[in-house]
Amino acid sequence: MANAEWERLKEALRQAPTPEARKQAAEAMRRYLERQKAKGAKGSKPTLVNLSTKAKDYPNAVPLDKIPEELEKSPEFFELMGRIVKEK
Amino acid sequence: MPTVLAMSDFDLPTRSASGFLLRYIAPRVEPVQLFSMLVRRTPFRLSAPQSDIIIGVGHGDVDAFTGQNEAVILEVGRYDPREVSGKVIKLISCQAGVELGPDLIRNGALSFAGYKDDYVWICDADLASTPWADKIAATNLMPVVEGLNVLLDGRPAEEAFEIELGGYTRNAEAEEDELVKACLEFNRDNAVLLGNPEARISPRPGLALPFRILPPPPIFLPLKT
Repeated sequence: MANAEWERLKEALRQAPTPEARKQAAEAMRRYLERQKAKGAKGSKPTLVNLSTKAKDYPNAVPLDKIPEELEKSPEFFELMGRIVKEK
Repeated sequence: MPTVLAMSDFDLPTRSASGFLLRYIAPRVEPVQLFSMLVRRTPFRLSAPQSDIIIGVGHGDVDAFTGQNEAVILEVGRYDPREVSGKVIKLISCQAGVELGPDLIRNGALSFAGYKDDYVWICDADLASTPWADKIAATNLMPVVEGLNVLLDGRPAEEAFEIELGGYTRNAEAEEDELVKACLEFNRDNAVLLGNPEARISPRPGLALPFRILPPPPIFLPLKT
C-alpha cells in the first residue's frame, strides 16, 4: 500500500510548476526520503539518473538527497518528476 | 555478421547502462564494439553498414542519439540511410522514439525500439567502477538486457520488446520503494517498438564460459561529474 508521504508528493507534483508548488513538492520529497531512509538504506549513494542531453535544464544525475533542491530550482525537473510519479 | 554495440561511458548514467551491456551483452557479440571514446560518428559510420543490428547506449533527444561526450551519432536528416537500412535497432536513450525512431524506419530500418520520454532509473554512484554489480540499477536495466538477449537469440523484435516490458512489470510488482517502482512503470509506459514486429537477426552464440560466471574487471576510466 502506498504511504502517505508518497501520496502527498504525487499531489504536490500534479500542480503547475510555480515557485510555490515546487517548494511544496520539495518539502514532500524531503519527507518521503526521510521515511525511506528510516526503513533502511538503498545503496550507499543512490542517485536518480537519466539519458537526456544537455539541452535540458536539469542534471543527468541527481543524488536522491538532492532531489528536493533540484525540484525547487528547475521547473523542467519538476515536470519530469510529475510525469514519473503520475497515477498509472 | 558484425554487431554495432555502441556503449558510451563518460558520466554516471552512461557508465551504469553501458556496464550492464559490457557484462551481459558484449561477450555474446563479435569484438568489434564501440566503447567509450570510440562511440563517435566516424567509427559508427564505418561499422554500421556492415552490421544487422545496432544497439546503443547514450544521451538522446527527440531527434538525435549521441555517443561519447554527447557527440552526435544519429540525427534526423543527417545520416546515410545505408547505416540503418535493413537493421534491427535498439537505443537506450531518452526520447529517441519521438522523431528519430520513425525517421530510422522511414530510412529502411527493419525495427526500432526506444523510449518516448526520458529513460530514468536509480543507481548507486559508489558502484561506478563495477556498475554490473549495482542491484538497484539492475531492477531497471536487467529487463533491457533480457530483451536484448532475446534479439541476439534470433527471435522477433516484438518478442524481445514484450520480454523487456514484462521485466519492468514483474520488477515493479515486487518493488517496495515507490520511486523505483515509478521509474520502472515510467520506462515501461514510454517504451516503443516501431517497424516490423517480426524483424529478427541471425542468432548469436549464447553467453560463453567464463563470461557466464566471471564479471569483467573494474572500469577505472574517470567520469564527468
